[in-house]
Amino acid sequence: MNIVRCLTLLLACILAKPAAAIPPSLHEVVETKRNVVVKLFGAGVGTLDSYGSGVLISEEGHVATVWNHLVNVGFLTAVLHDGRRYTVDVVGTSLEHDLAVLKLNSDDDEVFPFLDWRTSGKAAPGNAVLSFSNIYRVATGNEPVSVVHGVVAAETVLDAGLGRWEFPVKAPVYIIDAITNNSGSAGGLLAAADGTTLGLMGREIRHRDTDMWVNYAVPWSILKSPISTILEGRTVRTTSSGEEDRKLISDRRLTSEFGFTLLPHVLDKTPAYIDRVVPDSVAATAKLRRGDLVLMVDETVIQSANDLRAALATYRKGQRVSLTVNRDAALQVLQLRVP
Amino acid sequence: MRLHKQSRANRGIYNSRRPNLQSTIAGHCPNVDDNKWSLCRALVTGLLVLLVFNSTPHAAHADESSIVNRQQRRIEVIERISPSVVCVMPPGGQGGGSGVLISADGYAISNYHVTSGSGDFMKCGLNDGKVYDAVIVGIDPTGDVALIKLLGRDDFPFCTPGDSDLVKTGDEVVALGNPFLLASDFTPTVTYGIVSGVRRYQYPAGTILEYTDCIQIDASINPGNSGGPLFDIDGKWIGTNGRASFEKRGRINTGAAYAISVRQILLFIEHLKSGRIVDHGRVEFTVRTSPEGVVEVDEVSQLSDAWRRGMRSGDELLSFGDRALRSANDFKNILGIFPDSVRVPISYRNSDGVQTATVRLLPLHGFDKAPKLPEERRPEPDPKKGEPDDHPDDHEGAHDAPDEPKVPEQYAHLFQQKDGFANYYFNQQHQDRLIGSLEKSLAGNSTRADRTWELSVATTIDGQKRTGQLGVGPQAAWLELSGLRSALQPRSEYTEQNEPQLFRGLLAATLQWHRLFQDRKAFSEITYIGSEHLLPSGRIVRTLTTQDGTIQSRWYFQEGSPLPIGADVQMSVGVDEARLRFEQWKMDGPVPFPARVGIVDNDTETVRWLDVDSLKVGGTQDNKSASVEVKTEVAS
Repeated sequence: MNIVRCLTLLLACILAKPAAAIPPSLHEVVETKRNVVVKLFGAGVGTLDSYGSGVLISEEGHVATVWNHLVNVGFLTAVLHDGRRYTVDVVGTSLEHDLAVLKLNSDDDEVFPFLDWRTSGKAAPGNAVLSFSNIYRVATGNEPVSVVHGVVAAETVLDAGLGRWEFPVKAPVYIIDAITNNSGSAGGLLAAADGTTLGLMGREIRHRDTDMWVNYAVPWSILKSPISTILEGRTVRTTSSGEEDRKLISDRRLTSEFGFTLLPHVLDKTPAYIDRVVPDSVAATAKLRRGDLVLMVDETVIQSANDLRAALATYRKGQRVSLTVNRDAALQVLQLRVP
Repeated sequence: MRLHKQSRANRGIYNSRRPNLQSTIAGHCPNVDDNKWSLCRALVTGLLVLLVFNSTPHAAHADESSIVNRQQRRIEVIERISPSVVCVMPPGGQGGGSGVLISADGYAISNYHVTSGSGDFMKCGLNDGKVYDAVIVGIDPTGDVALIKLLGRDDFPFCTPGDSDLVKTGDEVVALGNPFLLASDFTPTVTYGIVSGVRRYQYPAGTILEYTDCIQIDASINPGNSGGPLFDIDGKWIGTNGRASFEKRGRINTGAAYAISVRQILLFIEHLKSGRIVDHGRVEFTVRTSPEGVVEVDEVSQLSDAWRRGMRSGDELLSFGDRALRSANDFKNILGIFPDSVRVPISYRNSDGVQTATVRLLPLHGFDKAPKLPEERRPEPDPKKGEPDDHPDDHEGAHDAPDEPKVPEQYAHLFQQKDGFANYYFNQQHQDRLIGSLEKSLAGNSTRADRTWELSVATTIDGQKRTGQLGVGPQAAWLELSGLRSALQPRSEYTEQNEPQLFRGLLAATLQWHRLFQDRKAFSEITYIGSEHLLPSGRIVRTLTTQDGTIQSRWYFQEGSPLPIGADVQMSVGVDEARLRFEQWKMDGPVPFPARVGIVDNDTETVRWLDVDSLKVGGTQDNKSASVEVKTEVAS
C-alpha cells in the first residue's frame, strides 16, 4: 500500500468519524419527527376529545396510536403534516399495551414518511425529550403538530386512570416532567433530543394516589412485539382476566355484518344503545332503530354494550335471536337473524 | 471500497496539482528502505496521535464549557432584557398584567385584555423597584394589543425587536412577566421553553380577541403573564404573550401558550400611537381550500377593488401581503396581521395567467367605543383572593375599576375622551405636528380658499410631447393637454366620466389637494392614522385622513418632509381611488408645487407623471369663474 493512499485513508477515517458522531440539531429533529406524526379526528364522547394523534410506522400508511375512545368509535380521519387527509381503518389492538394500529385508506402508489417501529432507544431519568402531538388541535390543515420539550423524570409502573377506567399497561412507563399529556396528545411521539424513538404519548389520566394529572409515554420497546403481531395479521394475546376473557363481537363486525353500531364503549357499563343502523342491513331488516336500548337477547339480560357484544358472539350464523329493546319508553321485541 | 475510490480520487487531484511532489512520493515509496518507511510510519502515527488528541478530548471539553458558556450567556441576556419588562397594574393596585417598553420615551406594549380593566391611567412597576404612572395611548381590541406610555422619564430602558418571521419550531425562548403577581419588587419572572409551532391561528372563541399568525410556546404562561414579552435566546423581542390553552385543569399553564408576533405588533405600533381604537381589516372576497389543496376564490363583491382588478370566483389566490398561501387558514392568518384600511398587494391566477393587484382593506369591526370583554377574558389574578387555581373562574374584583380612579394631577391633560379613540390627546399631538409644519411651508396661504392655481405641465404620451395646464379653483379642476380632449371636474358633483382618460382621478384628487393647502376648515374631520407602506413605491409614510363630505382622502407624509408625497382619494363606494403622487416640492413660488405630479394607474400599479414647470396663482373669484367658463367650452 502506498503511503499517500495510507495517509488519505487514515485522514478520511479520522475526519469521517467525528462527522458521523455529531448529533442532529434540535431543529433537524423537530423537522423530521413532526412529519411522522398525524392528527386524528373522530367523534368525541361527553368530555372526551374528538381528536388525537398517531405515529406513522410504515411507508404504506400504518399508524400506531393509543387504543382509546377515538379508535372505538371509529369514523376516524387522519391529517398529515402536509395537509393530506385520509379515512382510517383499525387493523388491530392490544389492551395491555393500550395500543391500536390503524391503516390510512390511501392509494396503492402513495408513500408516507414513517418511523421505523423496529428501532427505538431507551431513556433514563434526566434525559431531555421532545413530545410531538396534536395538542388542543392547534395545528390545523397542513400545519405540523406541536412540539413540547421536557425531561424524563422516572420510568415506573403507573397506577392511574380516569373515572372507572383503569390504566391497563402494567409495564413501567416513562414519566415526563413537563405538561405533555393534554387534550389530543394521546398517540403522539416521544423522542429523545437526538431524535431517537422513545415512546408513544399517553392519555390524560390522573394518578390513583395523588389525583394529579400524570404525563407519561408507553416505552416503544414494549410496543414492538404487539405492533409486529398486529402487522402480521395475528391477534395480540392478552393476559388480563374478567371482562376481557369474554369473547366479544368486534365493532367492525357489528357494523359490517349486523349493520349497526353501538354507543362507544367508554365506561365498563356503557349501556347498549344503538347509535347507527346501516340501511338494508340485518339490523335494518329486524327494524332496529337509532336510539334503541337493548335490554335482552333472548333470555339473557343485557346491562352493557359489552354484554350485548358477548351475547351475540354465542350465536351461530343463521340462528334467530329475539332482541328486547326499549324504544320511546316502551318495550319492543324484534327478531334478528344472525348473519 | 468507497474509501478506496476516494483515496484514488484524492490522489488524482494531488497529481494534477503537484506533479513534482507526486513523482517523488509515488515513484519512490514502493521502494523505500526501512529507515524511510519507519519515518513515514512515525509521521503517520504522530499525525494520528495529534489528531486524536486534538479532537476527541478537546471536543468533550468544549461541550462542557459550551454548556457553561450558554448558561452564562442566558443569564446575561436575562439581565439585559429584564429592565424593559413592565408590571401593569390598575390604579387601585388589584390584579394586573405585564408589558414591555419599546422606546426611551416610555411607550410600552401590553395586551388589550390587561389594560381594558385598568382605566385610562395605570401604575407600572419596573425591575428598578419603582412605580411609574402610565396613560393609555392606543388599543387594538381584535389583536389584543394595547399601547401605553410610561411617564416621568425620557430614558426608560427598552427592548430590541427581532424578526418573528424567522422564528422556527424548536427555537429556545424566554417569557418574562408577572405571573400571579409574585414579585413585590417588580423583578420579572422568567420562564423558559421552546417554540412548539409557528403561524398558529386561534379562533376568537366567543370573544373578539383573535390571535392570528401567532407563536405557540411551551414556556409556562400563567395569569399575570399576559402582555409580557417573549424573547428569543439572544434577547430579541419576538412576541407578546397573551393567551394559553386551558381546559380541565383550571387557568394555569398546560404547556401550550400563544404569543402575538412582533411582526404584527410592529405593523400596528404607529397606528396605536395615533391614540385610536385600531381595527383589523377584511377583504371583500372569500376563499376556501379546494379539494386539490389550492386556495380558491369563492365569492367576490362587485363593489370591491379585487373585482375591479378582474378577480373572479374560481380564481386561485397565490399570495397576500407578499406571502405565499398554502391554505385558506394561511390566508386568515396573514390577513389578521394587518391594520385596517391599508393597501395590500395580492397575486392570483386565472385563465390568463398570474395577475397582481393591490386591494385596500376595509374595517373589520368599526369600534366607536372600546369593546367590553366577556368575563372569561379578564384574566389576571387578585392576590388577595388566594391562589388563582383555587378559584379558576373567580376574577371579579381583579378588574373592577376603583370607585374614584385616581388621575395624577400633573398628567391629567394627557388624556382626552373621544368616540373612536382610546385617547384623543395623542391624535391631536400628531395632527398638530403634521399640520403645523405643513402650515409653515405654505407661509400664510392656507386660508385663501378663493384662489385658483394654474400649473403649466408637460408629459410624453406615446412618444409625443404634450404641454398644457392643470388648473384648480374653488369650484372645479381641469386639465388640458395639447392635442387631447380637455377634461373638467366640477366640485359640486363628481362624475368619473369627467376624469381625463390617461390620468383617472387626477382632477378629483387635485380638488382635495387644493383644499388641503388653501381651505382646511372645509374638512369636517382630520385624523392621524399611523404609518403604512405607500404603494407602489413601498416607502414608509405617515397617514393623515381628511373628510370632505363623503370624500375621504389619505395624505401621506414622509419623515422629515412637511409636504405630502401623495394622497389616495376615495370619491365613492364602488369606484377606484384616485391615487395622486408628488415629487420634489419647489418652495420658490407663491404656493409650493411639486416638480412632478402623477396618478397611479390602478390596473398596472405604475405612476403616470406630469412634469410641472410653474404654478401661477390666480386672484379673485371673478377671474376664476371666467377661467372655469372658458374651460367648460373647451371641454364640450
